[in-house]
Amino acid sequence: MDILVCVKRIPSTSESTDVVEIDDSQKGIKKEKLLFRINDWDEYALEEAVQIEERLGGTVTAITVGLEECDDILRKALAMGADQAIRIDQDISAVDSYVVAKILTPLIRTLPYDLILFGMQSGDFGWAQSGPMVAEMLGVPHATGITRLQLENNKEAKVGRELESGALELYTMELPAVLTIQTGINKPRYASFTSIRRARTRELKVTALRELGLSVDALAPLIRLEKLTLPSAGEVQIIPGSADEAAAQLVTILKGRGVL
Amino acid sequence: MGEILVVAEHRKQKLADVSFEMLAKGRQLADQSSSELAAVIIGSSVFDYATEISSWADKVLAVTDERMEGSLAEPCQKILSPIIKQRKPQLVLIGHSAFGMDLAPALAIELGVPLATDCTDIFMESASVRVRRSIYNGKIDAVFSFAPSETIMATLRPTQLPIEKGDRKGTIEEIDSPLTEEISYKRFEGYIEPETSEVDITESNVLVSIGRGIKNKENIAIAQQLADLIGGSVSCSRPIVDYGWLPSDRQVGLSGKVVKPKVYLALGVSGAFQHIAGMKASEIIVAVNKDPKAPIFSVADYGIVDDIAKVLPALIGEVGQAKG
Repeated sequence: MDILVCVKRIPSTSESTDVVEIDDSQKGIKKEKLLFRINDWDEYALEEAVQIEERLGGTVTAITVGLEECDDILRKALAMGADQAIRIDQDISAVDSYVVAKILTPLIRTLPYDLILFGMQSGDFGWAQSGPMVAEMLGVPHATGITRLQLENNKEAKVGRELESGALELYTMELPAVLTIQTGINKPRYASFTSIRRARTRELKVTALRELGLSVDALAPLIRLEKLTLPSAGEVQIIPGSADEAAAQLVTILKGRGVL
Repeated sequence: MGEILVVAEHRKQKLADVSFEMLAKGRQLADQSSSELAAVIIGSSVFDYATEISSWADKVLAVTDERMEGSLAEPCQKILSPIIKQRKPQLVLIGHSAFGMDLAPALAIELGVPLATDCTDIFMESASVRVRRSIYNGKIDAVFSFAPSETIMATLRPTQLPIEKGDRKGTIEEIDSPLTEEISYKRFEGYIEPETSEVDITESNVLVSIGRGIKNKENIAIAQQLADLIGGSVSCSRPIVDYGWLPSDRQVGLSGKVVKPKVYLALGVSGAFQHIAGMKASEIIVAVNKDPKAPIFSVADYGIVDDIAKVLPALIGEVGQAKG
Protein backbone atom coordinates (compact mmCIF):
# COMPACT_ATOMS: atom_id res chain seq x y z
CA MET A 1 0.00 0.00 0.00
CA ASP A 2 1.68 3.22 -1.18
CA ILE A 3 0.22 6.30 0.46
CA LEU A 4 0.84 9.95 -0.36
CA VAL A 5 -0.02 12.59 2.21
CA CYS A 6 -0.20 16.22 1.11
CA VAL A 7 0.61 18.60 3.95
CA LYS A 8 0.74 22.36 4.44
CA ARG A 9 2.64 24.74 6.70
CA ILE A 10 0.38 27.35 8.26
CA PRO A 11 0.72 30.14 10.81
CA SER A 12 -0.71 29.43 14.25
CA THR A 13 -3.59 31.87 14.76
CA SER A 14 -5.75 30.06 17.29
CA GLU A 15 -3.92 30.84 20.55
CA SER A 16 -4.22 33.93 22.74
CA THR A 17 -0.48 34.48 22.27
CA ASP A 18 -0.76 34.57 18.46
CA VAL A 19 -0.57 38.13 17.15
CA VAL A 20 -2.65 38.31 13.98
CA GLU A 21 -2.25 41.70 12.30
CA ILE A 22 -2.91 42.90 8.78
CA ASP A 23 0.17 44.22 6.96
CA ASP A 24 0.41 47.52 5.06
CA SER A 25 -0.55 46.00 1.70
CA GLN A 26 -3.89 44.95 3.30
CA LYS A 27 -3.45 41.67 1.44
CA GLY A 28 -1.47 39.72 3.98
CA ILE A 29 -0.83 39.32 7.68
CA LYS A 30 2.40 40.18 9.45
CA LYS A 31 4.32 36.93 9.34
CA GLU A 32 7.28 37.97 11.54
CA LYS A 33 5.37 37.67 14.77
CA LEU A 34 3.74 34.34 14.03
CA LEU A 35 4.72 30.77 14.78
CA PHE A 36 4.31 28.28 11.94
CA ARG A 37 3.36 24.63 12.18
CA ILE A 38 1.82 21.78 10.25
CA ASN A 39 -1.90 22.17 9.54
CA ASP A 40 -3.94 20.33 12.23
CA TRP A 41 -6.00 18.29 9.77
CA ASP A 42 -2.82 17.16 7.96
CA GLU A 43 -1.49 15.70 11.20
CA TYR A 44 -4.55 13.44 11.38
CA ALA A 45 -4.00 12.48 7.72
CA LEU A 46 -0.36 11.60 8.41
CA GLU A 47 -1.25 9.57 11.48
CA GLU A 48 -3.86 7.66 9.48
CA ALA A 49 -1.31 6.92 6.75
CA VAL A 50 1.32 5.73 9.21
CA GLN A 51 -1.19 3.48 10.99
CA ILE A 52 -2.21 1.91 7.67
CA GLU A 53 1.43 1.33 6.76
CA GLU A 54 2.08 -0.28 10.15
CA ARG A 55 -0.80 -2.67 9.54
CA LEU A 56 -0.54 -3.42 5.83
CA GLY A 57 3.04 -2.46 4.91
CA GLY A 58 4.04 -0.22 2.02
CA THR A 59 5.28 3.36 1.96
CA VAL A 60 4.18 6.76 3.21
CA THR A 61 5.37 9.84 1.31
CA ALA A 62 4.73 13.35 2.60
CA ILE A 63 4.43 16.09 -0.01
CA THR A 64 4.27 19.84 0.35
CA VAL A 65 4.49 22.90 -1.89
CA GLY A 66 6.44 25.86 -0.57
CA LEU A 67 9.80 27.46 0.04
CA GLU A 68 12.63 26.09 2.18
CA GLU A 69 10.93 27.25 5.38
CA CYS A 70 8.44 24.39 4.83
CA ASP A 71 11.12 21.75 5.43
CA ASP A 72 10.24 21.80 9.14
CA ILE A 73 6.82 20.24 8.57
CA LEU A 74 8.32 17.62 6.27
CA ARG A 75 10.76 16.70 9.04
CA LYS A 76 7.79 16.51 11.38
CA ALA A 77 6.12 14.11 8.91
CA LEU A 78 9.29 11.97 8.83
CA ALA A 79 9.43 12.00 12.63
CA MET A 80 5.83 10.79 12.73
CA GLY A 81 6.74 7.87 10.50
CA ALA A 82 6.71 8.92 6.84
CA ASP A 83 9.35 7.12 4.75
CA GLN A 84 10.19 10.00 2.47
CA ALA A 85 9.30 13.63 1.96
CA ILE A 86 9.14 15.77 -1.15
CA ARG A 87 8.91 19.54 -1.41
CA ILE A 88 7.93 21.33 -4.60
CA ASP A 89 9.92 24.53 -4.38
CA GLN A 90 7.33 27.18 -5.16
CA ASP A 91 5.88 30.01 -3.09
CA ILE A 92 2.11 29.49 -2.88
CA SER A 93 1.25 32.31 -0.48
CA ALA A 94 -0.51 34.32 -3.20
CA VAL A 95 -2.29 31.57 -5.14
CA ASP A 96 -5.57 29.71 -4.78
CA SER A 97 -6.27 26.00 -4.24
CA TYR A 98 -6.72 25.50 -7.97
CA VAL A 99 -3.09 26.47 -8.57
CA VAL A 100 -1.91 24.29 -5.68
CA ALA A 101 -3.79 21.33 -7.17
CA LYS A 102 -2.25 22.11 -10.56
CA ILE A 103 1.23 22.02 -9.00
CA LEU A 104 0.66 18.82 -7.00
CA THR A 105 -0.93 16.77 -9.76
CA PRO A 106 2.07 16.37 -12.12
CA LEU A 107 4.31 15.34 -9.20
CA ILE A 108 1.76 12.79 -7.99
CA ARG A 109 1.59 11.34 -11.51
CA THR A 110 5.28 10.43 -11.25
CA LEU A 111 4.82 8.53 -7.96
CA PRO A 112 3.30 5.14 -7.19
CA TYR A 113 0.14 5.47 -5.08
CA ASP A 114 -2.87 3.49 -3.89
CA LEU A 115 -4.21 6.17 -1.60
CA ILE A 116 -3.76 9.94 -1.41
CA LEU A 117 -4.65 11.67 1.84
CA PHE A 118 -5.16 15.38 2.50
CA GLY A 119 -6.34 17.23 5.57
CA MET A 120 -10.00 18.15 5.08
CA GLN A 121 -9.16 21.85 5.17
CA SER A 122 -6.40 24.16 6.36
CA GLY A 123 -6.40 26.33 9.45
CA ASP A 124 -5.31 29.43 7.53
CA PHE A 125 -7.57 29.98 4.49
CA GLY A 126 -9.78 26.92 4.92
CA TRP A 127 -10.87 26.51 1.30
CA ALA A 128 -11.16 22.71 1.56
CA GLN A 129 -10.53 22.40 -2.18
CA SER A 130 -7.11 21.00 -3.06
CA GLY A 131 -7.86 17.33 -2.24
CA PRO A 132 -10.97 16.88 -4.39
CA MET A 133 -9.43 19.09 -7.11
CA VAL A 134 -6.35 16.86 -7.35
CA ALA A 135 -8.66 13.82 -7.51
CA GLU A 136 -10.57 15.33 -10.42
CA MET A 137 -7.35 16.27 -12.23
CA LEU A 138 -5.98 12.73 -11.76
CA GLY A 139 -9.32 11.16 -12.66
CA VAL A 140 -9.59 9.13 -9.45
CA PRO A 141 -12.52 9.01 -7.00
CA HIS A 142 -12.53 11.13 -3.85
CA ALA A 143 -14.43 11.55 -0.62
CA THR A 144 -14.08 14.42 1.84
CA GLY A 145 -14.40 14.79 5.60
CA ILE A 146 -13.51 11.20 6.42
CA THR A 147 -13.90 10.13 10.06
CA ARG A 148 -13.92 6.39 9.41
CA LEU A 149 -11.56 4.44 7.17
CA GLN A 150 -11.32 0.66 6.83
CA LEU A 151 -8.78 -0.89 4.51
CA GLU A 152 -7.95 -4.54 4.00
CA ASN A 153 -6.07 -4.38 0.70
CA ASN A 154 -5.12 -1.98 -2.06
CA LYS A 155 -8.28 -2.62 -4.07
CA GLU A 156 -10.97 -0.86 -2.06
CA ALA A 157 -11.66 1.20 1.04
CA LYS A 158 -14.74 1.48 3.22
CA VAL A 159 -15.14 5.06 4.38
CA GLY A 160 -17.48 7.15 6.50
CA ARG A 161 -17.91 10.87 5.77
CA GLU A 162 -19.09 13.17 8.48
CA LEU A 163 -22.38 14.91 7.73
CA GLU A 164 -24.23 17.59 9.66
CA SER A 165 -25.68 16.63 13.08
CA GLY A 166 -23.21 13.80 13.62
CA ALA A 167 -24.55 11.46 10.92
CA LEU A 168 -22.22 9.48 8.66
CA GLU A 169 -22.42 8.79 4.91
CA LEU A 170 -20.88 5.42 4.05
CA TYR A 171 -19.15 4.45 0.82
CA THR A 172 -17.09 1.67 -0.63
CA MET A 173 -14.44 3.28 -2.82
CA GLU A 174 -12.23 1.75 -5.46
CA LEU A 175 -8.55 2.51 -5.06
CA PRO A 176 -6.58 4.52 -5.90
CA ALA A 177 -8.61 7.30 -4.36
CA VAL A 178 -8.19 10.69 -2.70
CA LEU A 179 -9.58 11.03 0.83
CA THR A 180 -9.61 14.19 2.91
CA ILE A 181 -9.35 13.53 6.63
CA GLN A 182 -11.43 15.17 9.35
CA THR A 183 -10.04 15.66 12.86
CA GLY A 184 -10.91 13.03 15.47
CA ILE A 185 -10.41 10.04 13.14
CA ASN A 186 -7.39 9.00 15.24
CA LYS A 187 -5.02 10.34 17.91
CA PRO A 188 -1.96 11.80 16.16
CA ARG A 189 1.19 10.51 17.86
CA TYR A 190 3.79 12.65 19.53
CA ALA A 191 7.03 12.03 17.70
CA SER A 192 9.68 10.72 20.06
CA PHE A 193 12.82 12.72 20.72
CA THR A 194 14.90 10.09 18.89
CA SER A 195 12.67 10.12 15.83
CA ILE A 196 12.73 13.94 15.71
CA ARG A 197 16.52 13.87 15.94
CA ARG A 198 16.75 11.22 13.27
CA ALA A 199 14.41 13.18 10.98
CA ARG A 200 16.69 16.21 11.26
CA THR A 201 19.42 14.55 9.24
CA ARG A 202 17.24 12.73 6.70
CA GLU A 203 17.37 13.84 3.11
CA LEU A 204 14.36 15.72 1.74
CA LYS A 205 13.66 15.61 -1.97
CA VAL A 206 13.22 19.01 -3.52
CA THR A 207 11.80 19.48 -6.99
CA ALA A 208 11.08 22.55 -9.10
CA LEU A 209 8.16 23.55 -11.31
CA ARG A 210 10.11 23.11 -14.53
CA GLU A 211 11.01 19.53 -13.58
CA LEU A 212 7.26 18.93 -13.44
CA GLY A 213 6.74 20.54 -16.83
CA LEU A 214 5.06 23.60 -15.33
CA SER A 215 5.86 27.23 -16.05
CA VAL A 216 5.17 30.06 -13.64
CA ASP A 217 2.71 31.76 -16.02
CA ALA A 218 0.48 28.67 -16.01
CA LEU A 219 -0.12 29.41 -12.37
CA ALA A 220 -2.45 32.40 -12.50
CA PRO A 221 -5.02 32.01 -9.72
CA LEU A 222 -8.74 32.05 -10.55
CA ILE A 223 -9.65 33.49 -7.15
CA ARG A 224 -7.95 36.73 -6.14
CA LEU A 225 -7.58 38.29 -2.75
CA GLU A 226 -8.77 41.90 -2.80
CA LYS A 227 -8.59 43.04 0.78
CA LEU A 228 -8.26 41.94 4.38
CA THR A 229 -10.18 43.58 7.22
CA LEU A 230 -10.67 42.94 10.92
CA PRO A 231 -14.01 41.37 11.83
CA SER A 232 -16.45 43.51 13.78
CA ALA A 233 -16.24 43.06 17.52
CA GLY A 234 -19.91 42.38 18.25
CA GLU A 235 -21.70 43.83 21.27
CA VAL A 236 -20.10 41.92 24.09
CA GLN A 237 -19.93 43.55 27.52
CA ILE A 238 -16.50 42.68 28.88
CA ILE A 239 -16.53 42.27 32.68
CA PRO A 240 -13.32 43.75 34.05
CA GLY A 241 -11.32 42.93 37.17
CA SER A 242 -9.58 39.90 38.61
CA ALA A 243 -11.01 36.42 38.05
CA ASP A 244 -12.72 36.57 41.46
CA GLU A 245 -14.17 40.04 40.85
CA ALA A 246 -15.34 39.18 37.35
CA ALA A 247 -16.92 35.92 38.53
CA ALA A 248 -18.79 37.76 41.34
CA GLN A 249 -19.98 40.43 38.90
CA LEU A 250 -21.14 37.81 36.39
CA VAL A 251 -23.14 35.92 39.03
CA THR A 252 -24.80 39.21 40.08
CA ILE A 253 -25.70 39.94 36.44
CA LEU A 254 -27.13 36.46 35.85
CA LYS A 255 -29.12 36.61 39.10
CA GLY A 256 -30.43 40.02 38.05
CA ARG A 257 -31.62 38.50 34.81
CA GLY A 258 -33.40 35.79 36.74
CA VAL A 259 -31.42 32.88 35.37
CA LEU A 260 -29.61 31.68 38.48
CA MET B 1 -29.52 38.72 -19.20
CA GLY B 2 -27.95 35.88 -17.31
CA GLU B 3 -28.94 33.25 -14.81
CA ILE B 4 -28.03 32.45 -11.24
CA LEU B 5 -28.29 28.76 -10.43
CA VAL B 6 -28.75 27.46 -6.88
CA VAL B 7 -27.97 23.80 -6.21
CA ALA B 8 -30.41 22.83 -3.45
CA GLU B 9 -29.73 19.87 -1.15
CA HIS B 10 -31.78 17.64 1.10
CA ARG B 11 -31.58 14.77 3.54
CA LYS B 12 -34.08 12.99 5.77
CA GLN B 13 -37.08 14.41 3.88
CA LYS B 14 -35.96 17.99 4.46
CA LEU B 15 -34.31 20.69 2.40
CA ALA B 16 -31.15 21.92 4.12
CA ASP B 17 -31.39 25.36 5.74
CA VAL B 18 -28.41 26.53 3.70
CA SER B 19 -30.49 25.94 0.54
CA PHE B 20 -33.00 28.55 1.75
CA GLU B 21 -30.16 30.93 2.61
CA MET B 22 -28.83 30.54 -0.93
CA LEU B 23 -32.26 30.96 -2.49
CA ALA B 24 -32.89 34.19 -0.59
CA LYS B 25 -29.43 35.53 -1.46
CA GLY B 26 -29.74 34.31 -5.06
CA ARG B 27 -33.10 36.08 -5.38
CA GLN B 28 -31.57 39.31 -4.13
CA LEU B 29 -28.59 39.09 -6.52
CA ALA B 30 -30.83 38.17 -9.44
CA ASP B 31 -33.06 41.20 -8.82
CA GLN B 32 -30.02 43.48 -8.53
CA SER B 33 -28.51 42.27 -11.80
CA SER B 34 -31.74 41.72 -13.77
CA SER B 35 -31.03 38.01 -13.98
CA GLU B 36 -33.23 34.99 -13.54
CA LEU B 37 -32.93 32.74 -10.52
CA ALA B 38 -32.96 29.04 -11.30
CA ALA B 39 -32.55 26.20 -8.84
CA VAL B 40 -31.89 22.52 -9.28
CA ILE B 41 -32.97 19.77 -6.89
CA ILE B 42 -31.97 16.13 -7.37
CA GLY B 43 -33.46 13.21 -5.45
CA SER B 44 -35.77 10.22 -5.34
CA SER B 45 -38.89 12.30 -4.76
CA VAL B 46 -38.40 15.99 -5.38
CA PHE B 47 -41.78 17.47 -6.27
CA ASP B 48 -42.53 18.86 -2.80
CA TYR B 49 -39.05 20.34 -2.57
CA ALA B 50 -39.45 21.89 -6.00
CA THR B 51 -42.73 23.52 -4.95
CA GLU B 52 -41.09 24.96 -1.84
CA ILE B 53 -38.14 26.27 -3.87
CA SER B 54 -40.41 27.88 -6.48
CA SER B 55 -41.29 30.61 -3.94
CA TRP B 56 -37.83 32.08 -4.66
CA ALA B 57 -36.78 30.72 -8.03
CA ASP B 58 -38.12 31.71 -11.44
CA LYS B 59 -37.40 28.21 -12.61
CA VAL B 60 -36.90 24.95 -10.73
CA LEU B 61 -35.22 21.99 -12.40
CA ALA B 62 -36.55 18.93 -10.59
CA VAL B 63 -34.39 15.91 -11.38
CA THR B 64 -35.78 12.58 -10.22
CA ASP B 65 -33.24 9.89 -9.43
CA GLU B 66 -34.63 6.93 -7.48
CA ARG B 67 -31.30 6.14 -5.86
CA MET B 68 -30.91 9.41 -3.96
CA GLU B 69 -32.87 9.60 -0.73
CA GLY B 70 -30.35 12.30 0.23
CA SER B 71 -28.01 14.50 -1.80
CA LEU B 72 -24.91 12.57 -2.95
CA ALA B 73 -22.00 14.40 -4.52
CA GLU B 74 -20.78 11.96 -7.16
CA PRO B 75 -24.05 11.30 -9.02
CA CYS B 76 -25.04 14.96 -8.59
CA GLN B 77 -21.80 16.04 -10.28
CA LYS B 78 -22.64 13.83 -13.25
CA ILE B 79 -26.14 15.28 -13.46
CA LEU B 80 -25.17 18.92 -12.85
CA SER B 81 -22.21 19.14 -15.18
CA PRO B 82 -24.22 18.88 -18.47
CA ILE B 83 -26.95 21.14 -17.05
CA ILE B 84 -24.40 23.87 -16.26
CA LYS B 85 -22.63 23.43 -19.60
CA GLN B 86 -25.89 23.86 -21.41
CA ARG B 87 -27.41 26.73 -19.38
CA LYS B 88 -24.15 28.64 -18.81
CA PRO B 89 -25.34 30.40 -15.62
CA GLN B 90 -23.22 33.40 -14.65
CA LEU B 91 -23.13 32.20 -11.05
CA VAL B 92 -23.62 28.80 -9.42
CA LEU B 93 -24.32 28.71 -5.68
CA ILE B 94 -23.75 25.55 -3.63
CA GLY B 95 -23.84 25.09 0.16
CA HIS B 96 -20.55 24.76 2.03
CA SER B 97 -22.02 21.67 3.63
CA ALA B 98 -20.70 18.11 3.74
CA PHE B 99 -22.47 17.67 0.37
CA GLY B 100 -21.08 20.87 -1.16
CA MET B 101 -17.56 20.19 0.06
CA ASP B 102 -17.61 16.83 -1.70
CA LEU B 103 -19.20 18.22 -4.85
CA ALA B 104 -18.04 21.74 -5.67
CA PRO B 105 -14.22 21.46 -6.08
CA ALA B 106 -14.42 18.49 -8.45
CA LEU B 107 -17.31 20.04 -10.40
CA ALA B 108 -15.37 23.31 -10.76
CA ILE B 109 -12.35 21.46 -12.17
CA GLU B 110 -14.52 19.42 -14.53
CA LEU B 111 -16.15 22.61 -15.84
CA GLY B 112 -13.00 24.74 -15.70
CA VAL B 113 -14.61 27.52 -13.68
CA PRO B 114 -13.33 29.60 -10.73
CA LEU B 115 -14.58 28.45 -7.33
CA ALA B 116 -14.64 30.32 -4.02
CA THR B 117 -15.63 28.09 -1.11
CA ASP B 118 -16.91 28.74 2.42
CA CYS B 119 -18.11 32.27 1.70
CA THR B 120 -19.93 34.16 4.45
CA ASP B 121 -21.43 36.61 1.96
CA ILE B 122 -21.59 37.30 -1.76
CA PHE B 123 -22.27 40.70 -3.26
CA MET B 124 -21.89 42.90 -6.33
CA GLU B 125 -19.25 45.61 -6.46
CA SER B 126 -19.12 47.74 -9.60
CA ALA B 127 -20.78 44.99 -11.67
CA SER B 128 -18.42 42.28 -10.42
CA VAL B 129 -19.18 39.52 -7.97
CA ARG B 130 -17.20 39.57 -4.73
CA VAL B 131 -17.24 37.15 -1.82
CA ARG B 132 -16.43 37.63 1.81
CA ARG B 133 -14.71 34.90 3.79
CA SER B 134 -13.56 34.43 7.36
CA ILE B 135 -9.95 33.22 7.59
CA TYR B 136 -7.19 32.56 10.14
CA ASN B 137 -9.52 31.07 12.76
CA GLY B 138 -12.07 33.84 12.43
CA LYS B 139 -9.50 36.54 13.23
CA ILE B 140 -9.48 38.13 9.76
CA ASP B 141 -12.17 38.83 7.15
CA ALA B 142 -11.20 38.73 3.49
CA VAL B 143 -12.81 39.86 0.22
CA PHE B 144 -12.04 37.87 -2.93
CA SER B 145 -12.83 38.40 -6.61
CA PHE B 146 -13.03 35.92 -9.50
CA ALA B 147 -11.00 35.73 -12.70
CA PRO B 148 -13.21 36.62 -15.68
CA SER B 149 -15.27 33.58 -16.65
CA GLU B 150 -18.61 32.85 -18.29
CA THR B 151 -19.59 30.93 -15.17
CA ILE B 152 -18.29 31.34 -11.64
CA MET B 153 -19.06 29.17 -8.64
CA ALA B 154 -19.27 29.84 -4.91
CA THR B 155 -20.16 27.77 -1.87
CA LEU B 156 -21.85 29.53 1.03
CA ARG B 157 -21.12 28.82 4.70
CA PRO B 158 -24.33 27.70 6.45
CA THR B 159 -26.07 29.91 9.05
CA GLN B 160 -24.54 33.20 7.85
CA LEU B 161 -27.37 34.74 5.83
CA PRO B 162 -30.97 35.67 6.62
CA ILE B 163 -33.76 33.67 4.98
CA GLU B 164 -36.12 36.27 3.58
CA LYS B 165 -39.37 34.71 2.43
CA GLY B 166 -39.83 34.25 -1.28
CA ASP B 167 -42.82 35.77 -3.11
CA ARG B 168 -42.48 34.10 -6.50
CA LYS B 169 -44.30 31.29 -8.13
CA GLY B 170 -41.66 29.91 -10.44
CA THR B 171 -42.19 27.20 -13.00
CA ILE B 172 -41.12 23.62 -12.36
CA GLU B 173 -39.46 21.62 -15.08
CA GLU B 174 -39.32 17.89 -14.39
CA ILE B 175 -36.29 16.05 -15.69
CA ASP B 176 -35.55 12.33 -15.54
CA SER B 177 -32.09 11.55 -14.28
CA PRO B 178 -29.72 10.97 -17.20
CA LEU B 179 -27.75 8.55 -15.03
CA THR B 180 -28.36 4.97 -16.01
CA GLU B 181 -25.56 3.01 -14.34
CA GLU B 182 -24.48 2.60 -10.75
CA ILE B 183 -21.29 4.45 -9.90
CA SER B 184 -19.06 1.47 -9.14
CA TYR B 185 -15.96 3.34 -7.99
CA LYS B 186 -17.79 5.14 -5.16
CA ARG B 187 -20.68 2.98 -4.00
CA PHE B 188 -23.08 4.58 -1.54
CA GLU B 189 -23.72 2.12 1.32
CA GLY B 190 -26.16 4.09 3.45
CA TYR B 191 -26.22 6.44 6.42
CA ILE B 192 -25.46 5.94 10.08
CA GLU B 193 -27.51 8.21 12.31
CA PRO B 194 -26.10 9.31 15.68
CA GLU B 195 -27.22 7.18 18.62
CA THR B 196 -29.66 8.58 21.17
CA SER B 197 -27.90 10.10 24.12
CA GLU B 198 -27.89 9.53 27.85
CA VAL B 199 -27.73 13.27 28.51
CA ASP B 200 -29.64 15.39 26.00
CA ILE B 201 -27.86 18.75 25.96
CA THR B 202 -30.63 20.26 23.83
CA GLU B 203 -32.99 19.89 26.81
CA SER B 204 -30.77 21.81 29.26
CA ASN B 205 -31.61 25.33 30.46
CA VAL B 206 -28.00 26.02 31.31
CA LEU B 207 -24.99 24.66 29.45
CA VAL B 208 -21.47 24.82 30.82
CA SER B 209 -19.63 24.34 27.56
CA ILE B 210 -15.92 23.61 27.50
CA GLY B 211 -13.34 23.96 24.76
CA ARG B 212 -9.62 23.45 24.25
CA GLY B 213 -8.91 26.02 26.99
CA ILE B 214 -9.89 23.43 29.60
CA LYS B 215 -6.34 22.06 29.04
CA ASN B 216 -6.73 18.59 30.55
CA LYS B 217 -9.35 15.92 31.02
CA GLU B 218 -9.31 16.15 34.82
CA ASN B 219 -10.66 19.72 34.68
CA ILE B 220 -13.91 18.48 33.13
CA ALA B 221 -14.96 17.34 36.63
CA ILE B 222 -14.70 20.99 37.76
CA ALA B 223 -16.93 22.10 34.89
CA GLN B 224 -19.35 19.35 35.87
CA GLN B 225 -19.30 20.64 39.46
CA LEU B 226 -20.38 24.09 38.23
CA ALA B 227 -23.05 22.56 36.00
CA ASP B 228 -24.42 20.53 38.96
CA LEU B 229 -24.54 23.65 41.14
CA ILE B 230 -26.64 25.60 38.64
CA GLY B 231 -28.73 22.67 37.46
CA GLY B 232 -27.21 22.49 33.99
CA SER B 233 -25.23 20.07 31.84
CA VAL B 234 -21.73 20.01 30.43
CA SER B 235 -21.38 20.35 26.68
CA CYS B 236 -18.27 20.97 24.57
CA SER B 237 -16.67 22.02 21.32
CA ARG B 238 -15.21 19.65 18.74
CA PRO B 239 -11.61 19.30 20.03
CA ILE B 240 -12.87 17.86 23.33
CA VAL B 241 -14.61 15.06 21.42
CA ASP B 242 -11.59 14.62 19.11
CA TYR B 243 -9.39 14.11 22.20
CA GLY B 244 -11.86 11.50 23.45
CA TRP B 245 -12.56 13.46 26.67
CA LEU B 246 -16.34 13.59 26.18
CA PRO B 247 -18.69 11.54 23.99
CA SER B 248 -19.85 13.07 20.70
CA ASP B 249 -23.42 13.55 21.99
CA ARG B 250 -22.05 16.44 24.10
CA GLN B 251 -20.72 18.31 21.07
CA VAL B 252 -22.33 21.64 20.18
CA GLY B 253 -22.11 22.73 16.56
CA LEU B 254 -23.07 21.93 12.99
CA SER B 255 -21.58 18.44 13.16
CA GLY B 256 -22.98 17.98 16.67
CA LYS B 257 -26.08 19.49 18.22
CA VAL B 258 -27.80 22.84 17.85
CA VAL B 259 -28.71 24.17 21.31
CA LYS B 260 -30.74 27.13 22.59
CA PRO B 261 -30.42 27.18 26.40
CA LYS B 262 -31.29 30.16 28.60
CA VAL B 263 -27.62 30.49 29.53
CA TYR B 264 -24.66 29.29 27.51
CA LEU B 265 -21.38 29.52 29.39
CA ALA B 266 -18.54 29.06 26.89
CA LEU B 267 -15.39 28.25 28.85
CA GLY B 268 -12.18 28.18 26.85
CA VAL B 269 -14.11 27.80 23.60
CA SER B 270 -12.46 29.84 20.82
CA GLY B 271 -15.58 29.84 18.66
CA ALA B 272 -15.02 28.12 15.34
CA PHE B 273 -17.98 28.97 13.09
CA GLN B 274 -19.27 25.39 13.24
CA HIS B 275 -19.52 25.79 17.01
CA ILE B 276 -21.04 29.28 16.93
CA ALA B 277 -23.67 28.10 14.44
CA GLY B 278 -24.77 25.55 17.03
CA MET B 279 -25.23 27.93 19.97
CA LYS B 280 -25.74 31.49 18.78
CA ALA B 281 -29.51 31.31 19.34
CA SER B 282 -28.96 30.85 23.10
CA GLU B 283 -30.71 33.48 25.23
CA ILE B 284 -27.70 34.68 27.22
CA ILE B 285 -24.18 33.87 26.07
CA VAL B 286 -21.20 34.23 28.40
CA ALA B 287 -17.69 33.70 27.06
CA VAL B 288 -14.59 33.18 29.16
CA ASN B 289 -11.36 33.07 27.18
CA LYS B 290 -7.77 34.17 27.57
CA ASP B 291 -7.73 35.44 24.01
CA PRO B 292 -9.63 38.75 23.67
CA LYS B 293 -9.68 38.20 19.88
CA ALA B 294 -11.34 34.79 20.11
CA PRO B 295 -14.37 34.80 17.73
CA ILE B 296 -16.64 33.52 20.53
CA PHE B 297 -16.74 37.07 21.94
CA SER B 298 -18.42 38.30 18.74
CA VAL B 299 -21.62 36.45 19.69
CA ALA B 300 -21.35 36.77 23.50
CA ASP B 301 -23.46 39.07 25.68
CA TYR B 302 -20.93 39.02 28.51
CA GLY B 303 -17.25 38.27 28.37
CA ILE B 304 -14.42 37.64 30.79
CA VAL B 305 -10.93 37.79 29.34
CA ASP B 306 -9.01 35.46 31.61
CA ASP B 307 -7.80 31.92 32.07
CA ILE B 308 -10.67 29.54 32.83
CA ALA B 309 -8.38 27.77 35.31
CA LYS B 310 -8.91 30.86 37.48
CA VAL B 311 -12.45 31.84 36.52
CA LEU B 312 -14.04 28.39 36.82
CA PRO B 313 -13.21 27.88 40.55
CA ALA B 314 -14.16 31.51 41.24
CA LEU B 315 -17.54 30.92 39.59
CA ILE B 316 -18.12 27.78 41.63
CA GLY B 317 -17.39 29.76 44.79
CA GLU B 318 -19.71 32.62 43.83
CA VAL B 319 -22.57 30.43 42.66
CA GLY B 320 -22.23 28.32 45.80
CA GLN B 321 -22.51 31.46 47.93
CA ALA B 322 -25.41 32.86 45.92
CA LYS B 323 -27.29 29.61 46.41
CA GLY B 324 -26.49 29.66 50.15
